[in-house]
Parts: sequence; C-alpha cells; structure tokens
Amino acid sequence: MAGSEAHGPRAVRVTPEDVRRLCEFLYRRTGMLFDDNKRYYIDRRLVERIGATKSESFQAYFAVLRSDADHEIEQLINAFTVNETYFNREEHQLRCMTSDLLGNVIRGKRPGESIRIWSIPCSTGEEPYSIAIWLMENWRLVDSYNIEIVGSDIDTRALKVAAEGIYGERALMRLSRDVIGRYFQPVADGEHQIDPGLRESIQFTRANLIDPSEMARYRGFDIVFCRNVLIYFDDSSRRIAAENLYDCLGAGGYICLGHSETMSRISPLFRVCRFSDAIVYQRPEADHDGR
Amino acid sequence: MPFVKRDVTAPGSTGRRAGDDLAPHDDGLASHIAALGSPDIEVRWSAARALGGRADAVPALATALGVEQIARVREAIMTALMRVGDEASVMALLPYLRSQDAAERGTSIEALQALPGAILPFMAPLLADGDSDVRLLATELARNMPAENATQLLCRLLEHEQHPNVCAAAIDVLAEVGTRDAVPALQACAERFAGTPFLPFAVSIAIARISDTDR
Amino acid sequence: MTDVERAAAPSRRRILVVDDSALVRLYYRDTLQKAGFEVEQAINGIEAMEKVLAQPFDLAIVDVNMPRMDGFSFLRTLRRSAADVATLPALVITTEAGEQDLDAARAAGANFYLIKPVSQQDLLRHAAVLSGAPP
Repeated sequence: MAGSEAHGPRAVRVTPEDVRRLCEFLYRRTGMLFDDNKRYYIDRRLVERIGATKSESFQAYFAVLRSDADHEIEQLINAFTVNETYFNREEHQLRCMTSDLLGNVIRGKRPGESIRIWSIPCSTGEEPYSIAIWLMENWRLVDSYNIEIVGSDIDTRALKVAAEGIYGERALMRLSRDVIGRYFQPVADGEHQIDPGLRESIQFTRANLIDPSEMARYRGFDIVFCRNVLIYFDDSSRRIAAENLYDCLGAGGYICLGHSETMSRISPLFRVCRFSDAIVYQRPEADHDGR
Repeated sequence: MPFVKRDVTAPGSTGRRAGDDLAPHDDGLASHIAALGSPDIEVRWSAARALGGRADAVPALATALGVEQIARVREAIMTALMRVGDEASVMALLPYLRSQDAAERGTSIEALQALPGAILPFMAPLLADGDSDVRLLATELARNMPAENATQLLCRLLEHEQHPNVCAAAIDVLAEVGTRDAVPALQACAERFAGTPFLPFAVSIAIARISDTDR
Repeated sequence: MTDVERAAAPSRRRILVVDDSALVRLYYRDTLQKAGFEVEQAINGIEAMEKVLAQPFDLAIVDVNMPRMDGFSFLRTLRRSAADVATLPALVITTEAGEQDLDAARAAGANFYLIKPVSQQDLLRHAAVLSGAPP
C-alpha cells in the first residue's frame, strides 16, 4: 500500500499494519470506530499529520500521538471530521430534549419554576440560540416555565461573536426560511442577526470546564450540552471535567455529548439513558455504592 | 421571549448545596481533611475534589479511600490522588490493584496508567509479583509509557511468565506500543504456548503489527 | 463448521463482545464472524450499555476486568434495565474458577461463564447455545 508524503529526502511509508495499530488506538481512546470502508480516508489524513508534525516515520508519529504532544489527537481527529458549527447541528438531540428529556425534567417542577439549560462550550453561539429557537418552535410548554439558557466558553472572542449574534447563510442552512424570518433580521453582507429580544435572553459567560472555582458558580442545571470537547482532554482533565459537570447538574439532570463521543471513554459517574432520538447520560437521582 | 436571563455568576444566585461552602481555593487543608470524614456524602465529595492535586493531603485521601462506600466519592478521591501524581499518591493507589472489587481495580488502573513516570520505579516488582492478577493488571500500566520502556519491561516479563492470561495481557500492550526488540520474546512465548487457545493468535497479530512498519 | 455452528449461522444472530483487550476482541470476532454471527464490540460496560440500548443483540460475551465499568457492574445495570434488554443472555469470561468468582458471576446475572483463555470450539459452542440457536 502506498501512502507517501515527501518532506526532505525521505518519503514516509505507512503500512496496513500501521493503520490497524492507529485505528485500534483511536478506538480505545475515543470510541470512534474505523472499519475497512473508512480506512482509506484515515490513510490520507494520517500521511498529512505525519508531514505536519515533521515525523520521520509512522513510529515517530505514533509516539507523538500516544503522548498527545501538542494535542495531536485532537489535530488528527479534526483532520477527518467536519467541524463547522451551524444551527441545529445535532437535531436529534434537540428533538430528544423536547420529546423526552423535558417531560422528565418537569415532573419534579411546578409551573413557573426554572428550567436551566447549559451549552458548554457554546463557541460562537449557534448551539444556545438553536436550543432557544427549537424550544419556541417545538415545545408547547415553553411559556409555562422560566427557562434559563446559558452559553459558556473558554474563548472570550467566541463569546463576543455569540453575544452579537450575526451569522452567515451557511450557519443557517438547517433552518427554514420561516424560522429565519421569525428570529433573525437581515444585516449587511447577506448575513442575519438574531433578534435583540432573543439575544438578550441568553446569558453568555466565560467558563473553563476544568476550573472548579469557575464551575462552582453553576448549579442546578437540568440539561447540559457538552459536545465535542471532553474527548480531547487528557485522562486527568476528563475526570475533573466530568466531576465538575456532575456537580453542575441537578439530581436526574441530563448531559448530551457530541455524536461520536461516549461516556465510556470519559467517566462512570453518569447513567446511560436511551430515548427514541438519542442516547444521553444522566446524573443519577440517588447515590449508590456501585455494587 | 419566554427565556429568563439571570446572572449565574453571582455567588448564591442558584441553589447552593452542602459542601459548596468549601470554596475550592480556601486553603483550609485541615477543614477539608476533616470534611473527608463527614457523614454527609456531598461534603465528602466536595472535600475530595477540593483536595485534588494537594500532596499534603495524600495520607488523608488514602485513608478515606479505604473506607469510602459511595462509588462517586471513591472516584473523586482517586482523581484527587491522580492529580498529585507523586510517589506517595502512587503508593496510596497501588493496594487497590489487589482489591476484590473489580470496579476498584479498574479505577486504580485508570489512575495509575495516567502516571507513567511516577509508576515506572514500581513496575519491575509489580511485574514480578507473586499474584498473577497483579502481574496481569500491571501490564496495563506500561501502555502509556515510552515504547522502549514498555517493551523492555514486558519482554522481561514474557521471558519467564508461565500464566497464559498474564502473557495475553502483555502481548496486547506490546501490539500497541512494542518495538522490533519485542519480536524474539513474542516468538518464544508462542512456542511455549503452542497448541493452546488464543496465545499463538495473539502473538501472530502482535508480531505483524510490530514488524510490518517502516524503519 | 460443526452442526451447532451451522444451525446458528442462518439466523444471523448478533453478538456483542465486551473486552478491553483489542486482541481478545479480534479473536472472538474472527471466530464468531467466520461461523456466521454478526459481531459488535465494546471495551467496557458503559459502551456495552450504549450498544445494547441502541440495537438488539442475542448474546453478550463479557469480560470481567474492564476500566470505568467492569463486567459485573455491567450485568447488574443490564438486569435492572428495561425488559427488552434486561433479559439479554450473557456469557461471562472470568480469569478465575474459584467458588467466589462463580457465585459473583451468577449473582450479577450471568447465564454462563467460561475461563480465559477460551478455545474457539468452546466459544462457538456456547455462543450458539446461549444466543438461542434452534435445537
């Protein structure tokens, strides 16, 4: 099998056994499975990353990957996943929220009580706004409770963009014209801005998932969307972040991960829950001794 | 808009729970350590998390780990020890390799595996332990080590190891991290266990992975 | 193929192999797939729960020692789940043959156990029977 990238006088050769070794490592580390159909796609990205890291061989590259030097695992995964953020990116989780999760959440609540939903990391805001719009479009009880939506990120520049709420056509590609008309106003350059009323309803804050003092301010959340970040943390940070998120959830609260993420690689603190539209995780209602 | 915006970052703005009063940056080591013995699960949980990474808390954390009944508090204590990552915390975690409880063994492996530097001095004795279960689990600890270290340790094990499951565990790690230097020990292992289930297969896969690579 | 293997194959029974060792999973998968089973894998009990909740299986083959959720914890969680998954037959693979371990396996909800390392014949025989192959 030929895969080669010339840098300097030496071309790096990647063998099928190298790819198997890599795929096995990725599966163990992230839960992402690459069967034979997807292998070719990996081969090319692998060669790219070998070049990008100036590795002289697959062995050298694999050592970099195993030690996760310079977040190489994230770099490799980014090389073969589509990372755009856009509205309603994982619609099945939004559907799960209104079809199943909220029904359970309100069982313990009286009308008018708070429902707290957190999007962390929220990046440039597509996710928290999507949640808000989805609720208004799809949840018949949206006016019966005090719904708080918080969007947090470690990146303050992203938060500024989120607060501004201006997006291009691509970010809105999953939204219908009607929905866009209801919640956005056209602004310059073919972009659209979230209506001021909605913009002002979302709280955007800076938060670091691994910082316990920052995370200590967040309590009593009913649903947390924490997508596509935990899987890139090292072992210790994953555990800390999971413990922090556990604390931020109320008993019985739900957490949704990215679609190729799994708690099996992150933490045993949460229960696996199946609903028709999604598998989500739950902070247990009560403690147990694990036996 | 049906949404309510509240200042979440104001302390006390949302329901605080027992244990929240132990602010993470409060350097009250003594109060956190005392809280590790609280009858209240939340207080113990918060105390364990507040003590994460604190070398001076290792003895108290180790003691607490020995008596903690609640799974998530045990996890938090192990995380706290893992974050210290020094020799004392490794020694606090090591006894759990011998636990009768599979969950405790698994968590201690996870914590120790993340400390390849700190665990290195303990590897030779662990891999020579009289208990085959301990030797088996110890092979996992080599997985995050540099390839040369892992290869050397596991080949030395393979040369003398009679227990097939211990060999199997070592071969699994070598298939991922082994260098070419592992091939002779692997071949010898296959010969020793020729005609038995699984091991010859495992060796052939490991050798293929290790050999069919450039350089 | 033996008669038992042939009987199991046509129904394309689905087996979930749960073990944190890649080589063990490969060994089981190769053996079972050649005999006509559909095989999926998981490296610990949490992933196993996700997979059994997402799709139907006829048998889970479960190792005991796995990170984050061991085999016994997985079985206990499985048996407490919704009826359509709680009854999933489970073959536990243990490293020990002691009374204590067998009692633990039974108490956790195992239907049967085997001791590692498992021969291909034993694996196939038990897979066929436990996954409900026709008599």
